[in-house]
Amino acid sequence: MIDVALPADCRIVALDSIASTNDEAKTLAAAGAAPWTVVWGREQTKGRGRQGHDWASPVGNLYMSIILRPAGPATRIMQLGFATGLAVADGIAACAPALPAVALKWPNDVLLEGRKLSGILLESASEAGGSLAWLVVGIGVNVASHPDRPGLVATSLHAAGAAVEVETLLYAIVARQATWLDRWQREGFAPVRQAWLSRAANLGSDVVVRTPSGELRGRFVDLDGDGAMLLDTVEGRRVINSGDVFPAAA
Amino acid sequence: MAKFDVDGDLVRKLASLLEETGLGEIEFEIENCRIRVARPGATVSAVAPVPAGPAAVADPVAAPTPKDGSEPGSVTSPMVGTIYLSPAPDEPPFARLGDAVAAGQTLMLVEAMKTFNEIKATKAGTLKELLVESGQPVEYGEVLAIIG
Repeated sequence: MIDVALPADCRIVALDSIASTNDEAKTLAAAGAAPWTVVWGREQTKGRGRQGHDWASPVGNLYMSIILRPAGPATRIMQLGFATGLAVADGIAACAPALPAVALKWPNDVLLEGRKLSGILLESASEAGGSLAWLVVGIGVNVASHPDRPGLVATSLHAAGAAVEVETLLYAIVARQATWLDRWQREGFAPVRQAWLSRAANLGSDVVVRTPSGELRGRFVDLDGDGAMLLDTVEGRRVINSGDVFPAAA
Repeated sequence: MAKFDVDGDLVRKLASLLEETGLGEIEFEIENCRIRVARPGATVSAVAPVPAGPAAVADPVAAPTPKDGSEPGSVTSPMVGTIYLSPAPDEPPFARLGDAVAAGQTLMLVEAMKTFNEIKATKAGTLKELLVESGQPVEYGEVLAIIG
């Protein structure tokens, strides 16, 4: 059992089947939907990750997208990806206390014992003046099943032995998302960064980062004040804003 | 076609020359390889395929743009990040140079730490200049496109 307090204005749009909860949430957001509108699909027929990657979405897993409208410029919106990772980690810990703690992989994957358990996709739009129009926080968690294909190391809560209900997990994560968003708005990125670093995967280890402009090798030493990865390479310290991280082969 | 390693120092040197001189582009040829370094809006090309590698990180296309965003119809980046001109690599771009665009239409995405932010047309008009390419890093306030 869990006992959670959802944001007062939370509205859940539950759908048996939807192409993509993020697309639906973006449409609702553009049409003026209030913050804390949550689009929840029992399955997605065209679930997607970033840049058109498919996200396998059969019934049994959690697929939801939360509309948020934090005030201010879009400049620092990526910081909320880290807050979302923490909300997912906390929500999973509340629902499955017997599991080992999950790790957060830069910038916003959630791993259980090195296997991908959850993916997060943030999409936003900014106004002409640079202020944020809306933010859609897409969260997928492998609850009952996980994709099994070469090159992908994934797991699910059920596979790990935690009999969690999708709906319970949804409430738990939305509640923690509210907590972390509130903290970020009151105290800034510092506490989010600190909490994220305490759960970071690969921190202090050698990694390979595939960036849009090439591959870099180095040691993941820290996050900067915006969440960019600080990577110590043989050519000095690099600040990485975009990229996929892989553990370096021993 | 033979492969060759891109000389990162050479590219950086050419990019800084470009800035220094205010030229639009510089082409450099040696033996069988030719490198062209150009300012935003143009493309970087080479005779041989450019291998992905650390040398490409010093993206010469990212040389500071002379435009400061004061030009009417300028669309600027609200954040530091990477440009995506299409929703997915195998899909057509959101908008092409010369396209008629509506106010509020998505022109491109700027991504940082897997947060994808839609950049909207600031007004209706023609996409007169497209100053960035997919995969290009951009700075806060950098001019991305101009609508005329």
